[in-house]
Amino acid sequence: MTRKIVKSKYHFEPDLIETIGEVSIEEIKPWGSNDELKIIGKPTSRIDGAVKVSGEAVYTSDVILPNMVYAKILRSPHPNAQIKNIDTSEAEQLEGVLYILTYKNAPEIGWYYNTSYLFDKQVRYQGDEVACVAAESEKIAEDALHLIKVEYENLPFVTDAVEALKDNSPKVHEWGNLPRGNPDKYKRGDVEKGLKEADLVIEDTFTTQVVVHNTTEPHCSVAKWEGSKLTVWDSTQAIFNVRDSIAASLQIPASSVRVIKKYMGGGFGSKLEAGKYSVIAALISRKIKRPVKIVLDRREENLAVGNRPNSIQTLKAGVKKDGTLTALSHHSIGSIGAYPDGAGCSWPLRTIYKCENVSTEEYSVFTNTGKSRAYRAPGHVQGTFGLESLIDIAAEKIGMDPLEFRLKNYTDKDQVYNIPYTSKKLKDAYEKGANAIGWHRRNKVPGSSNGILKRGIGMATQIWWGGGGPPAYATLKLNRDGSVNVMAGTQDLGTGTYTFIAQVASEVLQLPIEKISITIGDTETCPYCGASGGSTTAASVAPAVRDAAEQMKAKLISGAAAILETSEEKLIYAEGIISVKNDPSKKITIHEIISKMRERVLVTTGARSANPEGYMINTFGAQFAEVEVDTFTGKVRVIKIVAAHDIGRVLNPKTLENQFHGGIIQGLGYALMEERKVDSNTGKVLTANLYSYLIPTIMDTPEIEVIIVSEGDSMISSVGAKGVGEPAIIPTAAAIAHAVYNAIGVRIKSLPITPDKVLNALTLIKR
Amino acid sequence: MSEETKSNKFSRRKFVKGIGSSIAGGYILSPAIAKAAKKISKEAKDFSEGKVPLSLKVNESVINVMIEPRTTLAELLRDELKLTGTKVVCNHGECGGCTVLLNNKAVYSCHLLALDAAGKDVTTIEGLSSNGKLHKIQQAFVDEDGLQCGFCTPGQVMAAAALLYKYSKPDKQQIMKEMSGNLCRCAAYPNIIKSVLSAVEKSNG
Amino acid sequence: MKNFEYLQPKSIAEAAGYLKAGNGTSIPYSGGTDALVMMKDNLISPKKVVNLKSIPGLNSIDYIRGEGLKIGALVTISDLAEHPVVKDKFKILSEAAESIASPQLRNVGTVGGNLCQRPRCAYFREDFDCLRKGGNACYAFDGENKLHCIIGGSLCYIVHPSDLATALLVLNTKISIASGEKINEIPIADFFVLPDEDFTRENILQSGEIVTSIFIPDLPEGTKSSYIKFRERAVWDFAVVSVGAVIQTSGSEIVSGRIAFGGVAPIPWTESVVNSKLINRTIDAHIADEIAESILSNADSLEMNGYKIPLAKNLTKRILTQLLM
Repeated sequence: MTRKIVKSKYHFEPDLIETIGEVSIEEIKPWGSNDELKIIGKPTSRIDGAVKVSGEAVYTSDVILPNMVYAKILRSPHPNAQIKNIDTSEAEQLEGVLYILTYKNAPEIGWYYNTSYLFDKQVRYQGDEVACVAAESEKIAEDALHLIKVEYENLPFVTDAVEALKDNSPKVHEWGNLPRGNPDKYKRGDVEKGLKEADLVIEDTFTTQVVVHNTTEPHCSVAKWEGSKLTVWDSTQAIFNVRDSIAASLQIPASSVRVIKKYMGGGFGSKLEAGKYSVIAALISRKIKRPVKIVLDRREENLAVGNRPNSIQTLKAGVKKDGTLTALSHHSIGSIGAYPDGAGCSWPLRTIYKCENVSTEEYSVFTNTGKSRAYRAPGHVQGTFGLESLIDIAAEKIGMDPLEFRLKNYTDKDQVYNIPYTSKKLKDAYEKGANAIGWHRRNKVPGSSNGILKRGIGMATQIWWGGGGPPAYATLKLNRDGSVNVMAGTQDLGTGTYTFIAQVASEVLQLPIEKISITIGDTETCPYCGASGGSTTAASVAPAVRDAAEQMKAKLISGAAAILETSEEKLIYAEGIISVKNDPSKKITIHEIISKMRERVLVTTGARSANPEGYMINTFGAQFAEVEVDTFTGKVRVIKIVAAHDIGRVLNPKTLENQFHGGIIQGLGYALMEERKVDSNTGKVLTANLYSYLIPTIMDTPEIEVIIVSEGDSMISSVGAKGVGEPAIIPTAAAIAHAVYNAIGVRIKSLPITPDKVLNALTLIKR
Repeated sequence: MSEETKSNKFSRRKFVKGIGSSIAGGYILSPAIAKAAKKISKEAKDFSEGKVPLSLKVNESVINVMIEPRTTLAELLRDELKLTGTKVVCNHGECGGCTVLLNNKAVYSCHLLALDAAGKDVTTIEGLSSNGKLHKIQQAFVDEDGLQCGFCTPGQVMAAAALLYKYSKPDKQQIMKEMSGNLCRCAAYPNIIKSVLSAVEKSNG
Repeated sequence: MKNFEYLQPKSIAEAAGYLKAGNGTSIPYSGGTDALVMMKDNLISPKKVVNLKSIPGLNSIDYIRGEGLKIGALVTISDLAEHPVVKDKFKILSEAAESIASPQLRNVGTVGGNLCQRPRCAYFREDFDCLRKGGNACYAFDGENKLHCIIGGSLCYIVHPSDLATALLVLNTKISIASGEKINEIPIADFFVLPDEDFTRENILQSGEIVTSIFIPDLPEGTKSSYIKFRERAVWDFAVVSVGAVIQTSGSEIVSGRIAFGGVAPIPWTESVVNSKLINRTIDAHIADEIAESILSNADSLEMNGYKIPLAKNLTKRILTQLLM
């Protein structure tokens, strides 16, 4: 395999990552619109469907090993406290208790960028880890937790980000409540100058709530040692991250750690980093020489494994009468919880609309609450609600159609890096989406429709990265019987990764998908792929699989040429048979080639190509919402969402549409009902369950129409796919909020748009 | 909030504190138990030995086991019988991931004492397919892509199975209603509806 | 959840004996949909759990025309919701039952259990030393109180979570309580307890007492009834505010009517002032507005739940319009 090392760049979440990666020298011609693809782009049932619907699929939380024990974690009931003492003696007496880990006997393993330890004497939020009990059964472990006596010294705490910024606020960490001491700032042009040039200056504040991933499968881990070798089954979006974190924490070689994740019950960003539970399971397992399983419960899921930070966004826009944006500024505050993370949300404002004068200032603030984590388009979901609300207001103030206003400020290049996009079909998305929803039907005067049930239509724009990039590798093994194994160190979150890998291999090698077996989620047997996040998986991994398959095809042709004693150029490959162009009787099968080569398995490894220099890769889209507001109750019912997006090539419309549905309905939950509530008087969470933390049900589901306006983007890769998972959720809440405004004529500037807020707002206008 | 209401509030808080606690007996146990919960019994150990016999049918096989009374049906299925197709998501009867059939009705196995299934027929996801062939509902979920991560799927499929016991020809509204006790965080709902509709069509076709 | 002994009494007397002997450490158990939550969250840790389902004869629905409907305490919510007579004659009850929780929980939860379930106030359910649990303060009073009561609260501000309770109050239901050898029948209105009587309990049941059945007097000809439950999520959610109404009409006259509310008070709530306006009243265009304006006149909202007042009024308008127009 001929390879070279090149530089490349890609976006993972908001981070622009510069990589130096190994790619194939021979560039593969991207699939174009003239290529007749047989399985790529065709609705394909997911290949892991049958094992999932039959209950045969073994998820991490289903792993049962011989001699396995169970562990449960004791968590702090206080938002900020110093542990004075822990007495585990009574718990140790309980029959069936095998080992208890606390700060007293745990190794000093730095955690959260070394701002804390695996077990620390200082606990900083309700839910911080205090102790862990391993026992013969989960029940005994749970019983034992109640017998551990912890002496806490309670300390002053702060749960509100705005409060935490005040000088006299309690400090979550001794150096202050801003992780780096300063806000994150961005600036281009001169906002003051821009505002002066404007005919109208609009300023407003929008707020969004904290929401919790609540993946169905809890965060969980099973650790098992064999001699010096550790195997960890983990419910993770990033097997290699987990492997390296565990190895570093335990100070053992990465080669001694194998992380496996076959199926997982959802991630949404909350499983991108190694959890304390994984390292704890490994530590206890090493100590007691038995496999250890830790599965968090629903309460822990709601307290301790991440959330989307809240936001308080104050935005300002300068607008000319003709709709030109002369300036945009954004100031945001968000709580990241007790340990370092980011709550910035200004990216949409920096990039969606053409504007020369832009400034942003983001405060990511420590509070004594559970730490935030990436959650499906981190920052963009909050930021899009803020920006698009301001744009909607601006359009109305100058009397312009909101869609026309957006087209007026359309940009064909990325303004942060001042480079063009590889492709941008947002205009098509606007047009097709508007047609599908019937944009002309919206109330020309918001709130002007009669009756108790009022309908309205709104829309919002989406931008995200999702172009993927190197490094990502796939190893393809071709067996004599023409069956194929593909291995890639990536993950399937329910996103269809298994299926698209099989589709790509099937497409290139023209072999039936049933003959292709996929292994992913195993650090030992699979070549490296990155974390499954940032909507990068398909965009990164699919081209690597294609590369491996094309190499295999080339290898077969080369083998055939040698066996048939002809030149490679004279051979054609079709469905596993290689024949001479002008003499179809001269042909040879895969079986014959591999047998003649005296091999049983032919192996190739493909790599993701580098991204083009000087271009920005983004996904774009627009969502249109129609809602009905019951002005008697304040209840918003979403009737229809149209999602029109540019996401490059569609690999599998079946799984793609499903993923769009999911993102949109999660966005609906964000818009209308989900909220983690913390009691500010005590610092305790009030919604750590699924009856008070409301997520959408089947009955909340609107009609959804997905329109893909893009084709393969041949500048990105040989496959031309961009990501889908995050674009799907980004504009939903803003589109719904604008539809609500269009229906009732009063704007709810704070998410979620719950009945009490709507009723209160309606009562105010009545007065 | 005005200063007045604020001071009123605090005075009322204080007033409440002055009362102290009175303990009521009866059905409502909380005051006594809330305190007891803090003390936490040493009896946990004694109780853990208190296993009792249970006999029931799971997927048409008679099962006889000794279990602790606190064992839920989901724990019996997953931990004792190793039928891990049934998933535990919330363990509080708040999501539907653990749905199984009890005498052909849908129940949350995480939120039912195993002892309450005594003498009854339990059907789990493993009992739905026969001879390695998927049940028509399962096949419909594959064909219509009624799942993403698949973790809530066994529960969704079992809720759909109960629906088909209840109605021979359910309409879309009945399907939505009967499936409304099963949350899907991936929110594959539109395809779940399609899957059930398609299974209904096939069973009537 | 702590382990316990699971007792299977064969008679009410045997069950009552177990409960009494437990001296506060035994609980009656039927569907368990709430009791299990309480036990799993360590809010209660009973030593003995007394399974009422092992007692025969508590799970039937019997209707005698002209007399009424007797419903055993162990009838499941789904059996109640789907019973043909209930659907036909007591629509308010089938609608209330249908609105409860989810299909799976309705298959297990019972009528008696639904009436005796504990409140869903987060400060009661979560790790707070709240008044109702024997603590010193109501944390909802100056906390997150969007879902708390707007009337009838003092010291404690829960709302009663039972949908059936609201519907049954409208229906003038009597509730039978086994107490030792005796069975006492009391009006359901006397069953529930306001916090200023006793903030640690929601009803009058004493240790060893068991709800055995309820009785709903038959409704006269010309009676219509309905239950509207308003919740934040489309299904599977507790009522933010609910309203139930029964109205008997004759021609263009209302003969009598009753309205009750859920989600507004620590007990299912009805107001005689309001109900008296529904006696011998001519139906006119203003009636729904007029009645709606008269409800909850003593409501005193907390910081975040003031919206429940217009909400309850609007739902009243809606239900009256639906029943009368």
